[in-house]
Amino acid sequence: MFGYLQIQKSELLVREYEAYKSVYCGLCKQMGKDYSFLTRLSLSYDCTFYAMLLMSLYRSCSGFDNGRCRFNPLKKCSYAHCQDNSLSKASAFSVISVYYKLVDDIQDSKFFKRIIIRIIKPFFSHWHKKAKKNYPGLEGCVEKMMQMQNEVEQSENPSIDAAAHPTAVMLSSVLRLEAKDEITGRVLGEFGYHIGRWIYLIDAADDYEKDIKNGGFNPFAFAKTENVKETMNNTLNQCLARAYDAYQLLNIKDFKGILDNMMLYGFPSKQNAVIFGQQEVKYDRSI
Amino acid sequence: MTDPYEVLGVSPGASDDEIKKAYRELAKKYHPDNYADSPLADVAEQKMKEVNEAYDEINRMRQKGKGTGSTSSSSSSGYGAGSSSSQYYSVRVYIQRNMITEAEQILDNVPSGNRSAEWYYLKGMCAYRRGWSDEANRYFQTACEMDPNNQEYRAALNNMNAQRSYNYGGYNTGGSMGNSSCGCCDICAAMMCYDCLCSCCRGSC
Repeated sequence: MFGYLQIQKSELLVREYEAYKSVYCGLCKQMGKDYSFLTRLSLSYDCTFYAMLLMSLYRSCSGFDNGRCRFNPLKKCSYAHCQDNSLSKASAFSVISVYYKLVDDIQDSKFFKRIIIRIIKPFFSHWHKKAKKNYPGLEGCVEKMMQMQNEVEQSENPSIDAAAHPTAVMLSSVLRLEAKDEITGRVLGEFGYHIGRWIYLIDAADDYEKDIKNGGFNPFAFAKTENVKETMNNTLNQCLARAYDAYQLLNIKDFKGILDNMMLYGFPSKQNAVIFGQQEVKYDRSI
Repeated sequence: MTDPYEVLGVSPGASDDEIKKAYRELAKKYHPDNYADSPLADVAEQKMKEVNEAYDEINRMRQKGKGTGSTSSSSSSGYGAGSSSSQYYSVRVYIQRNMITEAEQILDNVPSGNRSAEWYYLKGMCAYRRGWSDEANRYFQTACEMDPNNQEYRAALNNMNAQRSYNYGGYNTGGSMGNSSCGCCDICAAMMCYDCLCSCCRGSC
């Protein structure tokens, strides 16, 4: 369930787009520094969103450096850096979630893929330990989610709400860690809950046909409805609507244009692309 | 004390028109109607209050003395504890205080033969507060089917429908066109209902 939290490039200002790219590259660099060259390949848009949100909440972005891309030396790029541990926290989050995804995939995958996962898993296992040591709170949230998710999938006929609950709670508690007071905690918690719910459900919507064919677990398969696409769309719309209500109450100053773009254009257009297969705005793949 | 200009997000050198515009935008953003059934209604209300105070403060500092257009935020969040004659008064109070577990405990103890439209409505409200929007939707629908004339239940369902059909800037071309054509009327009706409810509550307090 990665890569749904995207921007809509066509609606961004050029300088905003460049700032977004720098945060992405900055996070990539940080992952290389904290963990390894290999983990940089697991970088996702979701973690970029998380890093951006943190840097915005703490107002910790302290500028951009020019450099060259490690994967493509011909390409120039700039790296964002921050005064606090926002980027390092986001890279830990990325490593932790990739690790748990691998653990999860071992059970569900086919023979060859399983072998590949078994080969790379020990590496991630090592980095995961390191991330856990640095950010035990973060790791606890994700670990708890995995437990809850297993229980839900084993239960009989879980509802859409119950199936999405573990991921929603995970993101909710991850964001709650950042709150300095109770009110901000509630707002961040509500925001995280509905974004997490959206991520889980859009992933389920994306895999719907595959899961139906292969008999995999999918919450929409249990929904008693004639028009499953419309159910998906309505449910997902509501997640974004409620997340946006909470988002409005956050005190966002830095990167506001970019985060607004994601909330209002990026996520809904991604959703339309997944559900209705509409032409997505093409992104530069190497950002 | 916080700088009132900072609250409105304008510079101290801003013109009166700019301040008014900033104020209007923020007032629209934090309007209680946007947070009608939300668990964050009180936070929005607090923000609204801050914005109102900042606007008044700036007006005072600029010695206009007119107290222009500062609408005091309507204190009720649209979700009233209702009349005390209601069977589920304590449940409503718990929901209002965000004590969802307690509210649900009472509701779940009601035997399934005695479950009225109000029961389904309140059960939906609990689900909604927990973030279980899909379940909430089903409960609200049942409540409306059982008692089609109740404006409170209708307003909650309309709020759901508005959230479910709104696709922001995603250029919604697929699916629910049927919903959106009557959505506007529904929203207006819902707002009128809330207005009635708000004034009722304030009157009774």
